[in-house]
Amino acid sequence: MTINADTKIAPILKQNASALEAIVSISPKFEKLRNPLLRKLMAGRTTLAEASRLGGCSMDDFFKKLEPLGFEIDRNTNAVDGAKKPVPAFVASLKKQQVIELDVRPVISSGSDPLNVIMEKVKSVKPGDVLKIINTFEPTPLIRLLEKKGFESYVNAVNNNLIETYFHKKEASNQGEIEPAQPTASDWDNVLKKFGDKVQKIEVRHLEMPQPMLTILDALDRLENGTALYVYHKRIPVFLLPELAQRGFDYRIKEIQDGEVHLLIFKN
Amino acid sequence: MVVNTNNNLVQNTTHKVVIPFYVYAGLSFLTATVLLFLSDNAFTQHYFQPRTLAITHTMALGWGTMIILGASHQLVPVLIEAKLFSNALAYASFVLAAIGIPLLIYSFFQFQFNGIAQAGAVLINAAVVCFVLNLAASILKSKNKNVHAVFVFTASVWLLATTVMGFLLVFNFTKNILPKDSVRYLSLHAHIGLVGWFLLLVMGVGSRLIPMFLISKYDDAKTLWLIYFLVNGALISFIVLFFSAVDSFFYTVPLTAVLLALLLFANYCREAYKQRIRKQVDKQVKISLLSVAMMLLPLIFLAALIALLLFSFANTKLVLAYGFSVFFGWLTAIILGMTFKTLPFIVWNKVYHNRAGLGKTPNPKDLFSESLFQKMGLAYLAGFGLFTAGILLGNTIVLQIASVLLFITAALYNVNILKMLRHKPLIK
Repeated sequence: MTINADTKIAPILKQNASALEAIVSISPKFEKLRNPLLRKLMAGRTTLAEASRLGGCSMDDFFKKLEPLGFEIDRNTNAVDGAKKPVPAFVASLKKQQVIELDVRPVISSGSDPLNVIMEKVKSVKPGDVLKIINTFEPTPLIRLLEKKGFESYVNAVNNNLIETYFHKKEASNQGEIEPAQPTASDWDNVLKKFGDKVQKIEVRHLEMPQPMLTILDALDRLENGTALYVYHKRIPVFLLPELAQRGFDYRIKEIQDGEVHLLIFKN
Repeated sequence: MVVNTNNNLVQNTTHKVVIPFYVYAGLSFLTATVLLFLSDNAFTQHYFQPRTLAITHTMALGWGTMIILGASHQLVPVLIEAKLFSNALAYASFVLAAIGIPLLIYSFFQFQFNGIAQAGAVLINAAVVCFVLNLAASILKSKNKNVHAVFVFTASVWLLATTVMGFLLVFNFTKNILPKDSVRYLSLHAHIGLVGWFLLLVMGVGSRLIPMFLISKYDDAKTLWLIYFLVNGALISFIVLFFSAVDSFFYTVPLTAVLLALLLFANYCREAYKQRIRKQVDKQVKISLLSVAMMLLPLIFLAALIALLLFSFANTKLVLAYGFSVFFGWLTAIILGMTFKTLPFIVWNKVYHNRAGLGKTPNPKDLFSESLFQKMGLAYLAGFGLFTAGILLGNTIVLQIASVLLFITAALYNVNILKMLRHKPLIK
């Protein structure tokens, strides 16, 4: 069997059972392949080129280990880009001023998880902007996380130890029968700014159900014109929302963390 | 990258656990109405009949129990202000029940109590055990153990008692493990399920939700505890009476206790209604409040049955009308109303909880169609009324027309559920 940078790991393991030990010996990161379930998930989708990138080793490390097992090596095929994605339009048309760059290598070498630093940066990304993360490997979990939040991503491997990942926040598109206001990422901040110091704060986290809802409605009844109500809550009070709409109030919600949600309620 | 999967950016999977139960329940209701249409003549015969059994269990397990299991996984954590102990157990209870229920119903329909029926019974019991364990662990871990949580947990234990008994009845058909034949135990099995599981649970959850939907300050834990002891006392005395072969006159004791509990509960709802802040009560809550009144109908049939039993004369029409008015009347009315007071919020939370800071979000109650809901309500009331009349009159034509109306009810219900689940976010 001839293998090259584009060969997936699964057929290699199928061809020769000792290939598994050979690959695991390259990098401790491949220990996962010992788990049959993970092996099934990863081996069928990962090419040698991707594996070398993920494992932080070179293609040659693979070839050296696999050649003695009877695999023929084709070193001339260059790896197709791992993600096999064409360069998305947003990368092709990048302008310098709309790229927010973040190098997480120092954070990682200091031994801490860069996720919090990244998420802090993500907050400042407006629709249409691009965030560029510089790292030593492809941050797959981050890509998945941000895709859920409406980012498209593009990975550019400069070399084995320098990976640039671009995240582009898509413009919000409206569809459906209910016409919402054109949202922006910092809508919360805009609304908060608009009210300035005319904000009344209440804390309902310590109250038992259904007291939070009653307390909020009570406060709204006594809210002065032009003032917004800022609520510290344990969760999104979903049953309150229709009630607010019925009373002509609008709201914004900001999830701080599990068990902490802030609400901003104001007259339409 | 080292991503700590327990960080707060990872969403909890509650909606993924809850929604399958709702979908399954909706399809079960649809199935039950199709079976009704196909077996109209079963309702002019004796109640111990393959098709009647199949329909009863489609309603009790597929429709009632499944939707309550789904809603409980969502509501109990809210009631006890704590997280659900295990999503895995919740998934397990869904999968086990989802496989077990059709096996059991198919066996009833064929009237064969072989391995298939037994497998169904085992799977359903396994599902209930997962549910009870999950509730127990969630409640034990929480700091807030209130009367509503006690109601729900006790109800779940009665559910387990019901399914264990059902399991014994299924096995008793082939290997005589019980002293008498299975038909003899039917009323015990049915009433532990009805009163212990459905009634106790509906009261426990309803006493929290109805004031909440009405935005009412009313709260009266003392009355709820009284209701709790009345219902449980009624159940225990009923079981004792059942095994002690006394005169049927004594059955008025548990009946009176349940009746008293129902009156107290109806009064509780009335007080909550009187002290409400929300002036306009929406149709979903109205249908649910109507179901509180609808509880009286099965009780009237039951009282008539006991009265007739005193003259040692069992009227099968009344038994059928009683069973029908419980499952298609009271229970269905509650579910029809409460689905649209719970699911829209679950879906809204799923779609918008991390987008709600981005701008104006739609109102959760705009996620389903109000006009479809109204048409469903009308079809339901007409279908239910006609079918009950059809049973009492023994008229198959009336039964046919009524079952078509009930089928339309179930179809509209499912269309509305589907509309909700297919809701696409309006904010990206």
